[in-house]
Amino acid sequence: MAASISGLLKPWTPRVFLVRWSRYNPYYLEPEVRKEAYIKPEAELSAEEKEQRELKALRPIKAATNDVTSSVFSDPVISKFVGMMMLDGNKILANEIISKTLENIKRKQVDKYHKAPEGKKEEIECNPYTIFHQALENCKPVVGLASIQKGGKFYQVPIPLSDDRRRHLAMKWIITECRENKHRRTLMYEKLSQELLAASVREGNVIKKKLEMHKMAEANRAYAHYRWA
Amino acid sequence: MAAQRGVLFQEKVSRMLSKQHGRPVLKPNKPLVLKDEVANRRVKRGGASCVTEISVLMACWKQNSFVESVCSAETKAFYSCVDEAQAAKKNTSELSAMQGERLPPKQATLLLKRFPNLRTEI
Repeated sequence: MAASISGLLKPWTPRVFLVRWSRYNPYYLEPEVRKEAYIKPEAELSAEEKEQRELKALRPIKAATNDVTSSVFSDPVISKFVGMMMLDGNKILANEIISKTLENIKRKQVDKYHKAPEGKKEEIECNPYTIFHQALENCKPVVGLASIQKGGKFYQVPIPLSDDRRRHLAMKWIITECRENKHRRTLMYEKLSQELLAASVREGNVIKKKLEMHKMAEANRAYAHYRWA
Repeated sequence: MAAQRGVLFQEKVSRMLSKQHGRPVLKPNKPLVLKDEVANRRVKRGGASCVTEISVLMACWKQNSFVESVCSAETKAFYSCVDEAQAAKKNTSELSAMQGERLPPKQATLLLKRFPNLRTEI
């Protein structure tokens, strides 16, 4: 008994550290995961890139999260989309849905490719990643609306949006539209592939929603002076 | 001189609190101690930026019934204008921190919190 009590009096550090709500010191820098950033020879670096490298040699760097990889298959945009589609923390399911979606897109496009006449074969895009990026670009709104109060009334004022906000809106519209406005019995990957293929050629409900946003902004263009940025 | 002014002020406050000359002028319900913070001033609203670019873009949209590919030049001009406006805002907000020999309220609060008013002797 005496041995166990004296064992407790040793200097003690906890074996488990709570990290869920903790934050890195702002002094830490973000990790650079892409291989292209390190392959560049010394001569091709601009002045600011050289500065960045020197800074990275001196400052501590945050640990990379489990999502980022340096593989050729990892795409930050697709990772963001997976995160947005995830429900209740089930990222495995979200990832599976996205990979099935991309496979589905590829199947449809290859099918179209083989059925197309010889002249039209080069025009058909088979890479599902380029289709995804093209669809996302087509869904991004150019201007957004902000509710600004002036003289007691609220006006919808057209404002420029940041890139992150535009990407977020495009992704959110795609996901909501697939979840709500499609037939009940179709699976999510089927709905997503249909929507993405339509958006890449500027058709479909998400493009319609973006155009409605643009039309609202155009209708309220007189209030553009109410912005104060 | 500042010490003299401080002493005179303290004497005036104690006279206002005392009951020697009839009713006291001040009847404070909290101790008369300065806070370690400063109130935030109202931010002056600047003018809207890139309004011409927006109107040009929207005129193009209206003419071409909202087809995006036709208005690509106006869209690029709009984006470049937005980037310039953001960069300009960042630069000016760094430089105009001193407004007429007065500290901005956030900086004042930060300094006061670092060197707070001593309320107890221990």
